[in-house]
Amino acid sequence: MLDSDHATFIQTGVSISLAACSADRLPCMSRGLGCKLIDGGRQVAIFIKRSQSTELLENIRNTGRVANVFNLPSSNRTVQLKGVDAQIQPFDPADLPVIESHVSLFLDEVIPFGMQENMIRALFACTVDDLVTVVYSPSAAFTQTPGPKAGDPLGAAP
Amino acid sequence: MSLRIETIRECLEGIIPGHIATCDREGMPNLAYLSQVEFIDNEHVALSYQFFNRTRQNVLADSPVRLLLTSHLTGAQYRLTLHYLRTEAAGPLFERMRAKLAGIASHTGMSGIFQLLGADIYRVLNIEQVPGETVPPPPPPVNCLNALRRTADRLATCNTLECLLEKAVDCLENEFGIAHLMLLMHDKARGRLYTLASRGYPESGIGSEIPVGAGVIGICARERTPIRISFTNSEYAYGRTVRDGIAADGQADALETAIPLPGLPDAASQMAVPISVAGRLLGVLYVESVSDLHFGYDEEDALVAFAAQLGLAIVHHQQADDLPDEPAGNEEAAPAVAGTPLTIRHFAATDSVFIDDDYLIKGVAGAILWVLLSDFAERRRTSFTNKGLRVDPRIRLPGVSDNLEARLVLLQRRLEERDAGIRLTKTGRGRFSLAVDHPLQLVES
Repeated sequence: MLDSDHATFIQTGVSISLAACSADRLPCMSRGLGCKLIDGGRQVAIFIKRSQSTELLENIRNTGRVANVFNLPSSNRTVQLKGVDAQIQPFDPADLPVIESHVSLFLDEVIPFGMQENMIRALFACTVDDLVTVVYSPSAAFTQTPGPKAGDPLGAAP
Repeated sequence: MSLRIETIRECLEGIIPGHIATCDREGMPNLAYLSQVEFIDNEHVALSYQFFNRTRQNVLADSPVRLLLTSHLTGAQYRLTLHYLRTEAAGPLFERMRAKLAGIASHTGMSGIFQLLGADIYRVLNIEQVPGETVPPPPPPVNCLNALRRTADRLATCNTLECLLEKAVDCLENEFGIAHLMLLMHDKARGRLYTLASRGYPESGIGSEIPVGAGVIGICARERTPIRISFTNSEYAYGRTVRDGIAADGQADALETAIPLPGLPDAASQMAVPISVAGRLLGVLYVESVSDLHFGYDEEDALVAFAAQLGLAIVHHQQADDLPDEPAGNEEAAPAVAGTPLTIRHFAATDSVFIDDDYLIKGVAGAILWVLLSDFAERRRTSFTNKGLRVDPRIRLPGVSDNLEARLVLLQRRLEERDAGIRLTKTGRGRFSLAVDHPLQLVES
């Protein structure tokens, strides 16, 4: 589903957001703290804070459907992935360095825009026992970089 | 609703872009980044509609809408639940958002890509703060509410229009800390705004003009709404919009262009606020800065309130000046003067007045000066009243909303700047005198 270019892109200093809808179509979203690829890119794992995501996690449990956006502030490059088989898994503390690395790369992105480091660190502050991992297989991918091609599929669904 | 949106308005500035989530009819979620969220009131916001994309399709298919907004000051995150109401494709809100979007587009390298197609208006159903760590916000550079209070106190001490205008720009500079500003009055008959006062520019630009509808100032006047832009952008750059306005203007009554417009060539932040009283546009207050994001919602609120008070005070002083406070005494003839005569040339078609071939003023203010100088030359008359000018058939004032007193201030200031030996001095309520230091040679062209 994801070529190596996009696989690399989503693991840089992008802003990450994950959404899911309730049965009556009310969506809810949370900020992701980082991501990693599983099984050669066939699955994506997003780390989120449980305390911020009660409704989102409930929606994922009920529907398995997620929309996941990655945006690089410096270039506006934006990609949206969708999945229909999302599952919630316990956070593996071995993934903590992935989050730390993500925060560091994100800071490199946004500090030139005048963001305060302490504010960004507060935004990403977390404790291991509050973290949870959402894993899904991307079944559709779209470019959302503003412009004429925004919304176009990145590749055919499997 | 647990939170009022007015208390989290900094999140709407898009410094950290917001996210919008929707859902299609099959239950598939969709996420997108927001260019712009515009505060309307505590129940309503507007989102910019630029592309017919999945988000818009879902919204039109009755999807509930959620936003995730983040404060760039504290890191606090908020989830808003919205209900779509309608789309506006013209009018004050649309123009406000279009101007703001032009700045955002330019700042993000998206000029030409971000074109506002509509302002989508939503009802805010709920706002919840997302749990999480935050940092204390930095203190604001100015306490706008206190600056407004001090300004109100100072304006209340003025007993003439000149004092009011002087103190108004003084307060913007000293109480609000605004380094570059202009006060423009509306010439309804000619569809123009003319600069009456300014601060922070090498040349005052008093008398320079902007067409209604051109640039930030002209759109503010046309739509009677504040326009605030936070980033440099060519679309609303000062010189260009005015040049475009002149091009669209026709030749019958060309803009006053002999007086250069004041203004920063590289303004990053711009804000224009209409001055209106009882539905009548009196003028526009314009402030600018070379810094990005210099004016926020708080500054906009404060200047809108300031403009409301200033407008009422202008009307009050203009009406007060319409009633001379004492009966006209015997007019004293001016003493004879000698020396090199000043050649005053008047072009009746535009009421332009030149002093020794140097342009001074045109329009109503030009007509007034020509009448004053004609009476001086013929009868050595030096005392005049506002009321007398208003009924003088030679001036052809355009109706009751003529802003005569403001035009007299404009004329007085232009003469002071020109320093040609002709002066107007206020001698009482609705009364002033003319002093001329040289013999005059009047030429009607």
